[in-house]
Amino acid sequence: MKTELLLKRLEGVQTIDSIIKLLKVDRQKATYYVYRLRKAGYIKTLRSSTTGQRFYRISFQNKLKGISYYDIINKHSPIQIVAPMVYKIYGRKPSNEETLIFAIKTQSVRTILAAMALYRKIDNWMELYHLAKENHIERQVGALYDVARLNVTKVRRMPKRFSKISLPKDNYPFEYIIPGLRSEEYREIGNKWKIYIPFNKTDFEVFK
Amino acid sequence: MIIIEDQQKLLLAIGETIEKPITAYAIGGTAMMFNGLKNATLDIDIVFTKEEDRTIFIDAIKKIGYRHMNSTVVYGAKSNQPKMYSLDTERFDLFLIDVIDFAFSEDMQKRITQIHEYGKNLKICIAHPQDIIIMKCATDRTKDLEDAKKIIETQKIDWNALVQEAATQVRFGRKEAYFDLGEFLEKIQQTGTKIPQETLDKLFDLSMKETKKKKQNQKKHINHQHL
Repeated sequence: MKTELLLKRLEGVQTIDSIIKLLKVDRQKATYYVYRLRKAGYIKTLRSSTTGQRFYRISFQNKLKGISYYDIINKHSPIQIVAPMVYKIYGRKPSNEETLIFAIKTQSVRTILAAMALYRKIDNWMELYHLAKENHIERQVGALYDVARLNVTKVRRMPKRFSKISLPKDNYPFEYIIPGLRSEEYREIGNKWKIYIPFNKTDFEVFK
Repeated sequence: MIIIEDQQKLLLAIGETIEKPITAYAIGGTAMMFNGLKNATLDIDIVFTKEEDRTIFIDAIKKIGYRHMNSTVVYGAKSNQPKMYSLDTERFDLFLIDVIDFAFSEDMQKRITQIHEYGKNLKICIAHPQDIIIMKCATDRTKDLEDAKKIIETQKIDWNALVQEAATQVRFGRKEAYFDLGEFLEKIQQTGTKIPQETLDKLFDLSMKETKKKKQNQKKHINHQHL
């Protein structure tokens, strides 16, 4: 079977057993197919932390190398997300600050929730502030930080200067993080930043 | 000819040369390579939505060693030709919004499925496979038919969206879009690739309506002149 055809038939997440089942071949042949796909650069191998089983993420995009924001989120978060679209970066590694801003801009509940873990990794608060300001989401970043401080362990303290320059003035209207989505919880934080928080306390159980 | 690995290196080199953030859209063979549908391409087809972005890109490739070449050698007398730059056997075709008879519409920009960032300043968005077919129909060179055939055979095509995009092109003033796309798909069908008959019928019906409209408008114009 040609490598391109193999790629097309096996694209997605596979295990050796699923390949055996899908292609109706024996274990030896399935292992050989994995070897060929890996040699062509189409495979990224993941290992289950509990069972030790190997999972193969098979995609043409693996050949292009590069790194995606979703890779960084998945590296640091207990919530794993499947990228809804291909977004790859070459020639540089995006910072955690940049990745957090990207996640908030996606306006996707699961992506933002997974990215809350990045607050543990923020070293450069000034970079975060400048990126947030560029994208007009300083208040969203500040409100989510307050939520992260309550629910995500080991989140470092934000410099007072950040909140001082980001807090809204009295005449500022309320804004959404995810359009149309607001929770009844975290009212105080919401009122402080004039932001509707889209999460409930139960959403953060995986972070504890 | 350029293969995917070399193309990646080249785009990264350009990305590192550019000093201001720009966005470009890959179409044609380049977009097919990003989708894993092709191993190599003759030319790197890129569409820009701003002249300023194209100028910045051209400055960067000139620094790498690319030289301007005459586009009529490849595109003949067709309208909206790209600016072409080549180095050895590699070539850039750099379009500005219009790709020959078709426009790279806002809907096409919304449909992009991949974004690739090279360095800090070069963002390349990859056109959706069905939009690549439309663009292939516009350029209509010998190899374009083969490429479109490959897309249809390997990808799930939303035929209604394809007709819808032709309608968008008509709205933009490309009155022959229905006919051109219908004719292009019919040519592909003749090579043995399955194209839904209802899509072809729909395109030719719409094409007929468009021709009638055109004739009526011409009559109105003549009558108006007599009065």
